[in-house]
Amino acid sequence: MRLLLCLVSAAALGADFRLALPGYRFEFPRDHGPHEEFRTEWWYFTGNVSAGEREFGYELTFFRQAVDEEQGREGGSAWRLRQIYLTHFAVSRISGGRFHHASRLNRAGPGIAGALPGRVWNGNWSAVWKDGAIHLVASTEEFGVKLTLIPDKPPVIHGVNGVSQKAEGAGRASHYVSLTRLRTTGEITVEGKPVAVSGLSWMDHEFFTNQLTEDQTGWDWLSLQFEDSTELMLVRIRRRDGAADGFASGTMVDVRGAGRHLTAAAFTMTPGATWKSPASGAEYSVEWRIEVPGESMACSIKPALREQELVSRNRFSPTYWEGAVRAECRRDGRPVRGRGYLEMTGYAGAVQLSR
Amino acid sequence: MGWGLILWRVLLRPLRREPARAGLTVLAVALGVAVTLAIDLAGEAAAGSFRSSVETLAGEADFEITAIGGVPEETVGALARLPLDLRVRARIEAAGFAPDGGFVNILGADFLEGADEAAAPAEGGMRRGALVSAAMGVAAAGEVRVRVGERTLAWPVAGVLPATAATRGVRLVLLDIADAQESVGRLGFVDRILIRGPRGMSPEQLEEALRGSLPDGVLLQPAGASTEENRKMLRAFRWNLRILSYIALIVGGFLIYNTISVSVVRRRADIGILRALGAGRAFVLGVFLAEALAIALVGSAAGVGLGRLLAEGSVAMIAGTVNALYVGSRPGAIVLTGPAVWLAASGGVVVALVAAWAPAREAAGVAPADAMGRGRKEYRERLRAGRLFGWSAALAAAAFALARLGPVDGKPFFGYGAALLAVAAGALAAPGLTRWGVRAAQAAAVQLAGIEGLLALRSLGATTRRTSVLVAALATAVAMMASVGIMVGSFRETMIVWLGDQLKADYFLARPGRSGTFDAALADRIAGLPEVAAVDRFRMYPISFRGLPSVLASGESRVVLTSGMTRFLDGDREDALDALPSCDCVIASEPFATKHGVRAGQTVELPLAGRMVRLRVLGVFYDYGNERGMLVMDRGRMLRHLPDTALTSLAIYAKPGSDPRAAIERLLAGAEVLLASNAELRRGAVTVFDRTFAITYALELVAILVAVMGVAGALLALVIDRRRELGLLRFLGASRGQVRKVILCEAGMIGLLANGAGLVLGVALALLLVFVINKQSFGWTIQFHWPVAALVSGLTVVYAATVAAAIYPGRVAARLNPIEVMHEE
Repeated sequence: MRLLLCLVSAAALGADFRLALPGYRFEFPRDHGPHEEFRTEWWYFTGNVSAGEREFGYELTFFRQAVDEEQGREGGSAWRLRQIYLTHFAVSRISGGRFHHASRLNRAGPGIAGALPGRVWNGNWSAVWKDGAIHLVASTEEFGVKLTLIPDKPPVIHGVNGVSQKAEGAGRASHYVSLTRLRTTGEITVEGKPVAVSGLSWMDHEFFTNQLTEDQTGWDWLSLQFEDSTELMLVRIRRRDGAADGFASGTMVDVRGAGRHLTAAAFTMTPGATWKSPASGAEYSVEWRIEVPGESMACSIKPALREQELVSRNRFSPTYWEGAVRAECRRDGRPVRGRGYLEMTGYAGAVQLSR
Repeated sequence: MGWGLILWRVLLRPLRREPARAGLTVLAVALGVAVTLAIDLAGEAAAGSFRSSVETLAGEADFEITAIGGVPEETVGALARLPLDLRVRARIEAAGFAPDGGFVNILGADFLEGADEAAAPAEGGMRRGALVSAAMGVAAAGEVRVRVGERTLAWPVAGVLPATAATRGVRLVLLDIADAQESVGRLGFVDRILIRGPRGMSPEQLEEALRGSLPDGVLLQPAGASTEENRKMLRAFRWNLRILSYIALIVGGFLIYNTISVSVVRRRADIGILRALGAGRAFVLGVFLAEALAIALVGSAAGVGLGRLLAEGSVAMIAGTVNALYVGSRPGAIVLTGPAVWLAASGGVVVALVAAWAPAREAAGVAPADAMGRGRKEYRERLRAGRLFGWSAALAAAAFALARLGPVDGKPFFGYGAALLAVAAGALAAPGLTRWGVRAAQAAAVQLAGIEGLLALRSLGATTRRTSVLVAALATAVAMMASVGIMVGSFRETMIVWLGDQLKADYFLARPGRSGTFDAALADRIAGLPEVAAVDRFRMYPISFRGLPSVLASGESRVVLTSGMTRFLDGDREDALDALPSCDCVIASEPFATKHGVRAGQTVELPLAGRMVRLRVLGVFYDYGNERGMLVMDRGRMLRHLPDTALTSLAIYAKPGSDPRAAIERLLAGAEVLLASNAELRRGAVTVFDRTFAITYALELVAILVAVMGVAGALLALVIDRRRELGLLRFLGASRGQVRKVILCEAGMIGLLANGAGLVLGVALALLLVFVINKQSFGWTIQFHWPVAALVSGLTVVYAATVAAAIYPGRVAARLNPIEVMHEE
């Protein structure tokens, strides 16, 4: 579960979009593809990779957003703003202490951006499913990735009965699936030089129509991949007043790939030291303490790099912190280390699309 | 005594003593310089306008992709997906009309474009409605209405574009590309794709990479290539204009020659003294060259200022020509550039120094003892008219030889050279001609003007050298007027004859301003009228052929074959028109054939709707309507390649004995098209033609003005030099009127000689213009034709002006106090 686009105000309930309701039966590979009957959809790829001593983090995210006003109008120009694609791309040079990020905003238009079964793209940035692997390609003049991701575990469906509930009310939810352990090889280009890397990636794919209510302004989301071949996803949604709202959930994934749903009561997330962004002025808790009593697990989360904020350059995409993190945990009294990604949204003010 | 003081005494003081004459010479140079500068600046402004606002707004790019009939829009997606860091931007370019009938540019761009760039303004991005330029006169939150095709479209105004050089004074409606595509009916296509390559990639590499992924039949060019093409296309036109403007400078050169010659004669005694005091020949030479230089510098300085003003006036005229001949353009701002000023001013200085060289050398050759002799003798005649005639003949022969050479890089440089040699030949023939003319006219002069006529001719005969320079100057101006007059007149007549052949239809339908297209359904309805026998549906696409802008058109060969009268200069008309509908073939207009060296039987390749199409040229036809050149296909055949049925114009043939005007006008109600009858269209074409040549008439006028001013100045000098003689005449009983009459007679004789010589030279130049310079620059065959009325009236005006120029000198002569002048020395 991911980034708040705050795409649609509560008033715009509906058009003729389908709501994320319990009972949804996932089917793969179909459900890796697009779901245009839902208003919003995203594919999130994050990963921690390294080339020997050099460590990198990367994020490549494709957002699809349907524009209400243009729905139901058939024919006309291929350039009609029916679907907007926003793509965020970031590379964290953990060893070098640098963070690069770029974004792309395009209408689907005549093949400029889009999603088809087995393929999602925005210009020449793309994720392609082929022969059981996912191929990611993205580059700017400064940095780039070219990675192959092979799932080690089957897809994990979050939530209960096919929905991940985000607020009170029918449809205030999303359909949310992850590939939690993707063996990753390929190259990352920084300073004009490609570096062969390997490591682990995580994919989130989520689609929904109205998941949040108006007084929910953001969330804190965390994914961790432990050295004992288990994974953990936690998310908590914050209210406008900054307090954690009752809606929080998580999934613990065991060695074989089976997910166990965690309710809000099953874990705690406690913010620690903060970092204030010089660019946006937002103050992020870059350190966290988490506890999952049912797993006899407690972790201390620290950022691999403090400065991993994606600063928006337009009014369509939000400014948020998303970066590689390191976890030092104790599980059943034994130390376990993990790596992952942390996302914190809604700290730099609300954002809206297409208003 | 310093050299400076000597210069002052010898050189500048005498000039100051005769402000009127010095002023006239300076003014002549100034006018020459001003005209060349003005033509240069105004030409640049008119050409500069091709960097249209739309192009500027389109944004920076390395390459642009266009295609006849539009680029398939999938190309945009394919380019965006290329594994290259490209910026790909698509544009829709269209035109419409404001409610007041004014022309409106419509530009479609992706409003999301650039929203993700670092430089994007915070509020950038999607806006609903149109962004308009201030010239649209609509406020934000208002509504902008534009008629596009048969429909009037209205958009809410989302904002007013900031006033920049690109948008100032331009009516522009900027729409989101989806709105633009739908409103102007371009679904599935875009008009232009702009490509910005990655940093560090050479244009060659980029081009290579792009070519591989483009469909056939689209044109990949460096951005701004069309501007470059337009400028290239205008180059011949601007060269001709520039050369024409130099004539004024050359006429000014004759006057400098005359002025310096007079100075040399006047200051023979001074020269003698200087030489006796030890001044070398070089110094004397320098003194007179310095005088010329002083005149040239003052004249050039004044000319630059004047030129800037004249440019303002002529830019509209040049833009008018450009619009009529080439493409719709909007005059840009006049920019006074260093090189332009330098070129014009140095032109003035060089011409002045060259003109002053001969008299200055003459002065340097004066022996001190000789010059110190008492009295101020008329400068001894040392012309060897015979030898000069020989030179003149040699130059004329050289001119003839040059005229037979072909163009260089599309420009008739040898033609210009021939024209220059012809002018020089005329100038060298002038002394002999003058002497002979003066002698031959004596008897007639006595008869016509009595004793005053005789006195005038004798005086002229005694100063042949001076007189011949005046005759040469005036003759050059007259020749220019006559030659351009004959050329334009011939062209006009040729065009009128051609129009008569070409325009056989009874009515013509086109958009106002002949821009844009209209719905073919309208043509079908008109064709269905009982009064209408046939219609010829005509469509034009601007294309780029071998780096030059051109036109691809389609018409209905069947109708043209039976009703029209297109004349062919290469290939068989019947066969060609017969074969056109059944093959991928074209006929080419004469300018097209000349420009690209295309003949009947050859093949040309054109990209049509994403495919390279080979087209066989069946023939070449005469066309005076389009300088860019035109290829014409059969309409049915073209629709197979470009299935856009909209029309650029429609020719309507009435059934014998019926007039469909009223019926057509009923059908047209509300449609933004203009119906013109055959006669109206012809009249319109001639009006456009005349407007086209307005600038050449203006240039002629300046040259004549310079020459006439020269006559006035020279006669004034003559009067001052001959005041003893004139005083003596008065002393012997001549009345003031008689003295005045003598001067007027002299002017009359100069005018007569100049008109005669000018006419002869003018015809020679006209032959050059028509058959060499025009043909090589523009590719038109012009039938030689004598515009008798225009010539007669032109020559009469010049003659009257020459005589009128003598009025002031005549008055000065008449006012001379005989006693005073007789005792002067």
